[in-house]
Amino acid sequence: MTGPIPLSGRQPKAVRSALHVLEEVVAAGPGVTAKEISESLAMPQATTYRILNLLVAEEYLVRLPDLSGFALGRRAARLALPATTVLNTAARAVVDHMRAQTRWAVHVAWFAAGQISLIDPDPDHPAPDASQLARFPYAFALGRLLLAEQADWRALVRDVRPFTARTVTSESELDRTLKAVARDGLARQCGEFREDRGCIAVPIRGPRDGRLVAGIALAGPTARIAEPNEEIIKLLRDHAARLAPLLA
Amino acid sequence: MRDEARLRLRSRSPVEGLERRRLGPLEVFAQSVSGAAPSAAMAATPAIVAVSAGHGTVWSFAIATVLALLVAGCIARFTRRMAASGGLYSLTAKGLTPAAAYASALASLLGYGLLAAGALVGATLYLQALLDLWGVGGGRLGAAVVMAVIGLGTGVLVLRGARLSARVVLLAESISITLMLIVFSLLLAGGPAGGAAGGAGPAEATAMPPPGFGGIVAGVLPALAAFIGFEIATSLGTEVRKPFRSVPRAVGLTAAVAGVLYVFAAQVQVFGFSATPGGLAGQAEPVVALAAAKGWGWLPVLLDLGLVMSFVACGLATATALARVLFSLSRDGVAPQAFGRTHRRFRTPHLAVLASVPVTTGVPVVLLAVGVPLPTVLVTVLTLAACGFLLAYLLVCAAAPVFLHRIGELTWPAVAVSAVIVPILLVVLVAFVATRPLSGLLLAGLAVLGAAGYLVVRLKRPAALAGIGVYDETTTADVLIPDRGAA
Repeated sequence: MTGPIPLSGRQPKAVRSALHVLEEVVAAGPGVTAKEISESLAMPQATTYRILNLLVAEEYLVRLPDLSGFALGRRAARLALPATTVLNTAARAVVDHMRAQTRWAVHVAWFAAGQISLIDPDPDHPAPDASQLARFPYAFALGRLLLAEQADWRALVRDVRPFTARTVTSESELDRTLKAVARDGLARQCGEFREDRGCIAVPIRGPRDGRLVAGIALAGPTARIAEPNEEIIKLLRDHAARLAPLLA
Repeated sequence: MRDEARLRLRSRSPVEGLERRRLGPLEVFAQSVSGAAPSAAMAATPAIVAVSAGHGTVWSFAIATVLALLVAGCIARFTRRMAASGGLYSLTAKGLTPAAAYASALASLLGYGLLAAGALVGATLYLQALLDLWGVGGGRLGAAVVMAVIGLGTGVLVLRGARLSARVVLLAESISITLMLIVFSLLLAGGPAGGAAGGAGPAEATAMPPPGFGGIVAGVLPALAAFIGFEIATSLGTEVRKPFRSVPRAVGLTAAVAGVLYVFAAQVQVFGFSATPGGLAGQAEPVVALAAAKGWGWLPVLLDLGLVMSFVACGLATATALARVLFSLSRDGVAPQAFGRTHRRFRTPHLAVLASVPVTTGVPVVLLAVGVPLPTVLVTVLTLAACGFLLAYLLVCAAAPVFLHRIGELTWPAVAVSAVIVPILLVVLVAFVATRPLSGLLLAGLAVLGAAGYLVVRLKRPAALAGIGVYDETTTADVLIPDRGAA
């Protein structure tokens, strides 16, 4: 979605300076000013301002409301590996209980800093390919939960390509789909990644702040997933609600 | 580690409700180009400039281009750092006092409102000329109907969303500029017109003045007025993807592209009339006269088509900007609260559109209906609009270094540019008003009204006035805060 950044690769100094500035903002904490950065890096002021404006334009940094302080922007989160967690025993018991209720696969994914990681794929079923899930979140139910939560989902979607004839690839249709996900608190895809497989996912939110922390998904045959499945969705929601205090 | 109180982050942007971060760089560039409406100025302005600058016309345009680029540079000091919806006044507020920001807001409202009305008049004028050519003009009533229809269409498109109208604008402006380039390239290839070209208006023909320095400087005045509207992208800051890159680029590129087009058009016309007594300065419709001299009767049709497209695009772009200024003023608490509402589905400030477009359409329709000739309306409206824009430019250029000083990012080029451009703009504004007594009188009246309005707001809503200049602030959702991950 976002075009490549034109860089000839002949400005090693500028690249190095940009990385130093990013590092300095992390080290100094949110609210650090351009002058402070320039002084602590012993970098010429004009250069520092230019680099800061560039990093702000690319949304790695943001200016705070006083316009003089800087902080890391959401996009910067993508530079680091997501901090994943392992399910604790209580949470694992809830997931196992869910698995016992259905013949379909039950997966749990963790959402941190705009990235998805499968923290508990179903051991008795083939799990979705983690790298594909991270790269093409729009084609997965779990990915759609994450995208629906973003102010602008386009920032997290690199290239949109069809995997099957059913894959939703048009921007406007995807936008509608994601709005529905946000509204219903339910994501579904039927045969959009693999013809024969579909998936239903519901969000797991922090009980205090309502922040999306994880998602729990059911994967099964496309035709079955496309059915209303009201009972099993209710079951899934119940388990998500029980997981919320254990994960957040 | 700084405490979070220092960050003072809001959970929602003060300009929430607009379609945030949606327009592409090309769409916002097209808006700015349409605001400047280079096609119309290419056809009409060189002859006006030539009255004082003579053979130095091209130089007047070159100087005006440099000035426009300097103004664009001053605007970019803000737009690289903040994304706003209120255009220049939101920026000015970050450098100067609330009173100056208020003045800038009024100047912008005046400028955009009049330019929107002027664009509508221009579109009607040239569309009528085309329709008359095909024998379906329908006289004054026909023109009023045409005008109302264009106004209605503009209102609907602006209401439906920035994205849709931006695409229409992009298409219309591309066609218009392409037509203009074809017209002017043909004229250039055709060589200078013979002595007969002046026949279009021999009574008006005056001797082309020698290209003195004073003449060239005087020519900068109308030449600079040809650029007004090029900053329109600043009012779309909230709605553009990567605003800190796209908006300053759109404004700067528009100044550069319009400048190149003007210099080219001026060169073609000066050259075209080089063999005609009186030269370009004596021409009322230079392009038509040049085409007539070559026996190309079809060329004015192309020209008119291009002008209609350009005026329609200009009307759309300015109506979009006008609604955003009203919207932003409302979110400031200065304008009525209703203007700050946004349509749930279209995500546009629909009430601000509904309040402004009927006015910018209705007034010219009424003027037309009571029999005021359209060309007179167009000239008066554009002159007044130019004054509004010049005042807004002056204020934003003066605000730029103060703003940079305030946030601790002042550099000497910023001071130098403002030190050069502010006195020049001041002189241009004073000269502009002084040489047009009627406009000066009207402006004085408006200034008195504006001052009265300022006093009322200061008395009734002092807090709102003090905090004037909302913009699309960074919210908690945009920031990575340690220990919390992405909020």
